Amino acid sequence: MAVRPGVRFAHESEAEFARILDFYGIRWEYEPRSFPLQWDAQGRVIESFSPDFYLPDLDLYVELTTLKQSLVTRKNRKLRRMRELYPEVRVKIFYGRDYRNLLAKYGLHPVRSR
Amino acid sequence: MVTAPIDVLFTEAEIRTRVGELAAAISRDYAGRDLLVVTVLKGGVYFLTDLTRALEIPVTIDFLAISSYRGGKGPTGVVRLLKDLDEEITGRSVLLVEDIIDTGLTASYLVRALQARDPADLAICTLLDKRVRRLVETLPIRYRGFEIPDVFVVGYGLDYRQLYRNLPYVGVLRADPAGA
Repeated sequence: MAVRPGVRFAHESEAEFARILDFYGIRWEYEPRSFPLQWDAQGRVIESFSPDFYLPDLDLYVELTTLKQSLVTRKNRKLRRMRELYPEVRVKIFYGRDYRNLLAKYGLHPVRSR
Repeated sequence: MVTAPIDVLFTEAEIRTRVGELAAAISRDYAGRDLLVVTVLKGGVYFLTDLTRALEIPVTIDFLAISSYRGGKGPTGVVRLLKDLDEEITGRSVLLVEDIIDTGLTASYLVRALQARDPADLAICTLLDKRVRRLVETLPIRYRGFEIPDVFVVGYGLDYRQLYRNLPYVGVLRADPAGA
């Protein structure tokens, strides 16, 4: 699934998104940073969040979520926590429907009933 | 009349009214200036023709065409101009007319390509603005017709697999009629 030497994506949807960014000339980095969200009593990080992409030209992190609803709920909670702790960081989440509509725009995915 | 699983979002009359309002604003803002109105084939054609016919100032129109993302497992190349402008834009006021802006990736490419030619002024007029999906927040959008939620829209130039552009209204495509 590598679209760039040395980059291995966890999911094909991430590789496709990277190809779309490449197509439009938008620079990207894959999971370049983890944001600690929770620490234990000793100050060790016990929960963190690593957005899938960072787009340096736009100073924007992007998280793709094409998974089942229970995982989306957990990810939404992490995202809310991240926005509380790091309000200066711009992050955008792409839900499954967002992503499928993006692909449908290119004729790569059927439009589904909602 | 085209029959498809489509719910009307903006009627022909609503679009006509809004296009008239946008044209009035553009006529006022660009009075006395050398305005070139540009759109991208094919989606922007209906909007551009109705908008420019409603303008009350002299304008020049021109068209661009760019390659579309095709997907695939390997490298897909980069977006490129399939048809360039016939007009020179250096030193002129350019209004880029778009049918829809969602992520802003296409518009961002177009803005970069046009800015490189040093126009006096470059702004965007989009009929539909799907802000909820925006990735590129820095676009010079000066006029917007309607803000829409994250739904798949067709009609009035917007297509799904090259169909439905000729609908006189903007509608929400509920599902792929082919059931793919």
